[in-house]
Amino acid sequence: MKLVIDENRCKGCNLCTKVCPYHIFREGKKLNRKGIAVPELDRPERCTNCRLRNLYGRQLCGVCQLTCPDQAIHWIDEEPYEPHKVAIEY
Amino acid sequence: MSFEDWYRADRLPHIFCAGCGNGTIINCTLAAVEQMNWKREETVFVSGIGCSSRAPGYILTDSLHTTHGRAIAFATGVKMANPDLHVVVFTGDGDLAAIGGNHFIHGCRRNIDLTVVCMNNQIYGMTGGQGSPTTPKGALSTTTPYGCAETPFDLCDLAIAAGANYVSRWTSYHVKELEKAVKVGLETPGFSFIEALVQCPTAFGRRNKFRQVADHIEFLKTHSLLRAKRDRLLEKGEPVPEDMFVVGELMRRNRPAIGVKP
Ligand SMILES: Cc1ncc(C[n+]2csc(CCOP(=O)(O)OP(=O)(O)O)c2C)c(N)n1
Ligand code: SF4
Ligand code: SF4
Ligand code: SF4
Ligand SMILES: [Mg+2]
Repeated sequence: MKLVIDENRCKGCNLCTKVCPYHIFREGKKLNRKGIAVPELDRPERCTNCRLRNLYGRQLCGVCQLTCPDQAIHWIDEEPYEPHKVAIEY
Repeated sequence: MSFEDWYRADRLPHIFCAGCGNGTIINCTLAAVEQMNWKREETVFVSGIGCSSRAPGYILTDSLHTTHGRAIAFATGVKMANPDLHVVVFTGDGDLAAIGGNHFIHGCRRNIDLTVVCMNNQIYGMTGGQGSPTTPKGALSTTTPYGCAETPFDLCDLAIAAGANYVSRWTSYHVKELEKAVKVGLETPGFSFIEALVQCPTAFGRRNKFRQVADHIEFLKTHSLLRAKRDRLLEKGEPVPEDMFVVGELMRRNRPAIGVKP
């Protein structure tokens, strides 16, 4: 699983930076097109839910998602080890 | 499935200010509802008027956004007309304890099978920050510019005294605990009352030394006293710190109730 912040919903309150036990969310510095500094993710693959949700088959931790007043935090499926064809250019 | 599936995604982002705690409380309530395996057609959300009362508008099920203070009155009507429905009320401190105070105590007295979630931001948020019946002593608001001189209501004590079957209090910091408390409330027949203390950065925080939203969350974290801890202090005859509020399950009992699904 991959952790993402929905830029359309986030209002930049930075509560997520306060509640994550791994401090994965960091205060954002760049303003987006809505004028909001969306938090940056620091090595989000450390998140308990990213690592173990598929193994356990249920939501784990999720404190950031419950806390986020703007429903901006989600997880999306990803396949990190998908084989890629490498095209070699001569 | 997750609590997110109960939101009307097309209505988001909602109108609450940045950092407003109301969104957190809706998340926790929906997370509890999600675990009940209720059908959407059998679940109804009811609210009065206020920022907090806008919650049902963002939820997929049928809902009633009623007049100021009357959420419990309308919810009583819904529940008595069709006891098969699961009825959840969202309300604010002004809505519940000021103009709706009588509906609140009589809902508790009748012990009607509702779950009432009160987002207590200790202020009238929607109308610009007037003092409410829960504004703490000394707090600044537009109607208490020199600091509130009145003693506030303890909403949980009120619900217990009036007869509610289940009463608990948490805050927007205690998301997991709040989710569990709402779930117990939904499962308990009779009147369940869950008070959630929340931050209102716009109308309360700004005037009361919580410049950053996180400062208010830190306050809620450090000033909450677990019920078990309070009880131990009382047992030992030690003083309970005056600047703290009690959190946890405050009442669970089985008084005769009405409107319970047959
Ligand atoms: C009969 C009536 N009186 C007064 C109002 C004005 N009014 C609207 S919201 C509100 C207070 C809301 O406070 P609260 O329930 O705490 O909600 P919050 O906005 O703080 O979430 C008031 C007095 C009204 N809409 N209807
Ligand atoms: S808690 Fe939600 S709205 Fe607030 S900064 Fe984090 S992602 Fe954005
Ligand atoms: S789910 Fe828990 S560990 Fe993962 S980002 Fe959110 S708060 Fe951090
Ligand atoms: S005024 Fe207060 S309660 Fe209303 S949306 Fe803004 S922060 Fe929330
Ligand atoms: Mg209020």
